[in-house]
Amino acid sequence: MSALFTPEILLSILTASVGAATIILFAALGELITERAGIWNMGVEGTMLCGCLAAYVVMSETGSPAAAAVAAVAAGVAAGLLIGLFTVSLKVDHFVTGLGFNLLASGLTLFLFRTYTAAGQPAPYATIDKLAVPLLARLPGLGPILFDQYLLTYVAFLMVPVIAVFLGRTRPGLECRAAGENPEFLEAKGISVAGRQYGALLFGSALTGLGGGFMMLAFASEFRPDISGGRGWLAIVAVIAGNWRPLRTTVAVLVFAVLDSLAIHAQGMGVAIPYQFFLMLPYVASVVVLAVVRSRSGQPARLGIPFIRS
Amino acid sequence: MIRIERRAATGWTDRLLAYVLAIAGGLAASALLMAVSGADVVEGFSALAEGAFGDTEAMRQSLIAAIPLAFTGLATVAAFRAGIWNIGQEGQAFAGAMAGYWMSLQLAGVPGAVAVPLVLLAAVAGGALLAMLAAWLRTRCAVNEIISTMMMNYVVVYLLSYLLAGGPWTEAGSTAYHQTPLIADSFHLPALGGVHLGAVLALAATAGLAVLIGRTPLGFELRGLGLNPTALRFKGVDVGRTVLAVMALSGGLAALAGASEVFGINFRLRAGVIDGLGYTGIIVGMIGALDPWGTLVTALLFGALANGALYMNVLSDIPSALVPAMQGILLLFVLGASVLVRYRLCFRPVGETA
Amino acid sequence: MTDEPVLSVRRLTKSFGPVRANNAVSFDVGAGELVCLFGENGAGKSTLSACLAGLYPPDGGDIRLGGAPVRFASAADAIRAGVALVHQHFVLVDDFTVLENIVMGHERGLFVRYQAARAKLEALCRRYDIAIRPEARVGDLTVGERQWVELLKALYHDARLLILDEPTATLDLRESRKLFRIIGELKAEGVGLILISHSLDEVMQSDRVVVLRQGAVVGERRTADTTPEELTRLMVGRDVARAERGIRHAGRPCLAVERLTVARPGAAPLLDEVSFTVAEGEIFGLAGVAGNGQKPLLEAIAGLLRPTSGRVLIDGEALDELSVHAIQQLGVGHIPDDRLVEGLVGEFSIAENIALGGHRDAFARGAFIDRAAMRAAARRAIVDYQIAAPSAATAVRTLSGGNAQRVVLARELAAARRVLLANQPTRGLDVGVIEYIHAQLLGKRAAGCAVILASSELKDLITLSDRIGVMFQGRLMGIVEAASASLEDIGLLMAGKSREAA
Repeated sequence: MSALFTPEILLSILTASVGAATIILFAALGELITERAGIWNMGVEGTMLCGCLAAYVVMSETGSPAAAAVAAVAAGVAAGLLIGLFTVSLKVDHFVTGLGFNLLASGLTLFLFRTYTAAGQPAPYATIDKLAVPLLARLPGLGPILFDQYLLTYVAFLMVPVIAVFLGRTRPGLECRAAGENPEFLEAKGISVAGRQYGALLFGSALTGLGGGFMMLAFASEFRPDISGGRGWLAIVAVIAGNWRPLRTTVAVLVFAVLDSLAIHAQGMGVAIPYQFFLMLPYVASVVVLAVVRSRSGQPARLGIPFIRS
Repeated sequence: MIRIERRAATGWTDRLLAYVLAIAGGLAASALLMAVSGADVVEGFSALAEGAFGDTEAMRQSLIAAIPLAFTGLATVAAFRAGIWNIGQEGQAFAGAMAGYWMSLQLAGVPGAVAVPLVLLAAVAGGALLAMLAAWLRTRCAVNEIISTMMMNYVVVYLLSYLLAGGPWTEAGSTAYHQTPLIADSFHLPALGGVHLGAVLALAATAGLAVLIGRTPLGFELRGLGLNPTALRFKGVDVGRTVLAVMALSGGLAALAGASEVFGINFRLRAGVIDGLGYTGIIVGMIGALDPWGTLVTALLFGALANGALYMNVLSDIPSALVPAMQGILLLFVLGASVLVRYRLCFRPVGETA
Repeated sequence: MTDEPVLSVRRLTKSFGPVRANNAVSFDVGAGELVCLFGENGAGKSTLSACLAGLYPPDGGDIRLGGAPVRFASAADAIRAGVALVHQHFVLVDDFTVLENIVMGHERGLFVRYQAARAKLEALCRRYDIAIRPEARVGDLTVGERQWVELLKALYHDARLLILDEPTATLDLRESRKLFRIIGELKAEGVGLILISHSLDEVMQSDRVVVLRQGAVVGERRTADTTPEELTRLMVGRDVARAERGIRHAGRPCLAVERLTVARPGAAPLLDEVSFTVAEGEIFGLAGVAGNGQKPLLEAIAGLLRPTSGRVLIDGEALDELSVHAIQQLGVGHIPDDRLVEGLVGEFSIAENIALGGHRDAFARGAFIDRAAMRAAARRAIVDYQIAAPSAATAVRTLSGGNAQRVVLARELAAARRVLLANQPTRGLDVGVIEYIHAQLLGKRAAGCAVILASSELKDLITLSDRIGVMFQGRLMGIVEAASASLEDIGLLMAGKSREAA
């Protein structure tokens, strides 16, 4: 066994993983709700980028993390509105819209960033601090992993049961699921399919934007082109690997984050397996899971199919 | 409240008009973006145009930039017309480049007239095989091809990253740039009138795909598959085999994008050289209305935009990032227009009578 | 209870484009009364019920509930007003539980009160003797069970007007009886009921019959004062032209089905040891309630469904492992029951649809499609089959149902040199087209083809067939001679009673 698995390193890997997982978790939960309502939003990466830029600009201008987080949410909602206009109102193919939006967001954020910094780049701001939960953070082992994290990390993980209860036990949650499973049914009840889909998409995009904002606040003090670096796509993968269930999706996100940390550490510690193979695993695993697992797919029946009233 | 109703039929003039309006709208929105950022719109567009079409050299560069987009765009047309949502053009392009490079390693010393066709063949096989894996997963294991092709994009990129950064293909002494050594001259795609062979291949592929879709039994099945696979199955078409054939076709076309970039321009395999070609190709195919010739025209337009952007960046203060933003805007406008062509929008509240 | 009728409809009109689906329809439903809407396919029954249930806004006319005028903006409005529609095509969410399906759209507040809802649902199940678990996932239920879920949904919301759109189509005889027992209980409770049915037996159990033809009410009778014959005359509007069958040519056996079985894991088999033969120049009718194996049987013969055991022979040669295409090459034509999904590619032209299946053989020249041959065949079909279309390049999506079916006929009758499989070939079509199709089937019979005709119209089967096989739950319950069979015999077999037991 290499030195990779000493308790100290393992602890630091896990602690870092939970922090890093927060970014993807926000986006994955947002995408989960969106997909359960039938919208296959492929624009997660772009939405996250919008959140990143908004948080960066507001943080640079005001220095207030709270204001930056609000800006990231607002940027996410704006992105969701544009995607919703095409997917929900105009019935354009969902993933073509998403891919187009990603291209737009990638170019637009960079364009706006360059425009914003044309007169000189603002000084990097300080990233936000962690917020240890008194007492619990000092638990041996689990303490630092679970209770010495960022405020938004607690928020993200609290969202998991909230969303599970929302989808399973509440009226709007049931209606969102119906929009993804059988929109005619919803329509027959006199409930607007578009309304539920917009609701899910805007809420999901807000979470995704917040995920981007959190990344800027906690891990980066400067904006870079395409700084989201594929995390939006990873969020989509996590929803698939999690079979469209909140808890399993969270597990998938955590596994991805741990693999990511392992890849970084493995490289540093001279482990024989090239780190790229760790990074490949989430994608290979998702396909294998889909191909092999014969249990009932949780994929909403009408995911990605524009609903056109007959 | 927007309601959508299907139109009975639309003539090609209406469609053309809608497209022209969409492109004009997209350009206007881009101009607005430029103006908002404080740049001079006229200066920006003229720099863009000059960079794209200013002189023969500019046009040559624009054409070269269009070649890979034509291939990934055609790959999109082949798959999407069959209702197969292959979004793995990115990975298939990489796979093509990798398979071609592997073949070039096997053929050291072989003269170009033999080596180049073999390298291209290997590239096509590489892309086709990767795409066929997704087709097989769809037919045998009911794995959605959107998911599998998207995942494979990442797997291929990481595999390449391994091969180039410490793996067997890494250039000796070069750790900063993740790349292979330069490829021997005999493998370079021959230049024809200032552009490499890829241009001719792209033109041939466009014509070939148009004929295949419109005139051959496979094309007949391809279109039928996209419209109603059940009816095809009832009439004895082996749908699984058709999916496999279509994906092979799509993957092979995408592979040519990677091969033409590596063997026509860069002459080495480097991480990032074909980044985004696949995703942009999907957009090119969509704006090209999933028609081979329309896609070729769109690829030329996108190539010109990409090339013009470099020049615009030098000549004016406008960041070249405008161009991807512009491409995204154009796509959204064209998508909007295609909705208006196919459907009638009603802005009346439900229940009100006409 | 007041004398005011539960429902009173006056001059209700609804058009879809140029088509007038309902034209000034007026009728009443009293409390505790079962009114039957009777009419052919396309007479406007379903549109009428959809207007009453708030799914479509009527173009004109009044709807009054208990004397008060109502105007529903949505189905939810209608449900709140006490009008419930039990759909013909189930509107259920497969991935939801029974309970979730039932409470959906009727909860207020943020959280769904599952406890209370479950208690109410279980009470309903007990009261009406319906065995459905509230926690069962609807996707796992049988078709018949889903019909009960639809009914429970309506009962759950204390409907005072219940519209049942062909509720027994998916039920067997025993369950149909149970449904009518429940209808009786609801009548006793003062609920007004509207029944849409094609079955005269059921129609005759109602209190009053409103007959619709081409969107308008053409007659209203107290059931006690009328006869099935009179109702049929009202419905059709003229005497049914009997297709002339001609004498039966006792040909040699052409198609043989031997102990054909198609099993499903974890469910009853789709086909269970089905055996019969069809001779040249014979029409073999297939009767049965929808969903009892008729479709799988035809699909297994056509090679679309792989049998688990047993085999099919044409002219003595087994079709084992032959592809769909190879079987078609042997001279088998297949008219599937869902023409727009299974029979045609809507966006394709008439020519392309005619070529479908033959695009690698008859309509190919070298590596290319022979477009000239394709167009010529389509032009011939347009003339021969009287297809009303501007040209061979017309997309079949733009054709009427009857003309689209003529395209299928043109292709499949040409393919059917030995065997023709026809599944519900006249469903949803006008009388004129139906007669045309019947004549074509008889033409194939005269030409020496072995024809299997599956139909839900017993009358048609008896007129056209030489023999009739009756299917129930994947089994062939018995074969009767069409000339001597009585409706009662066939009806009993359809309900799963073999003649020996009956």
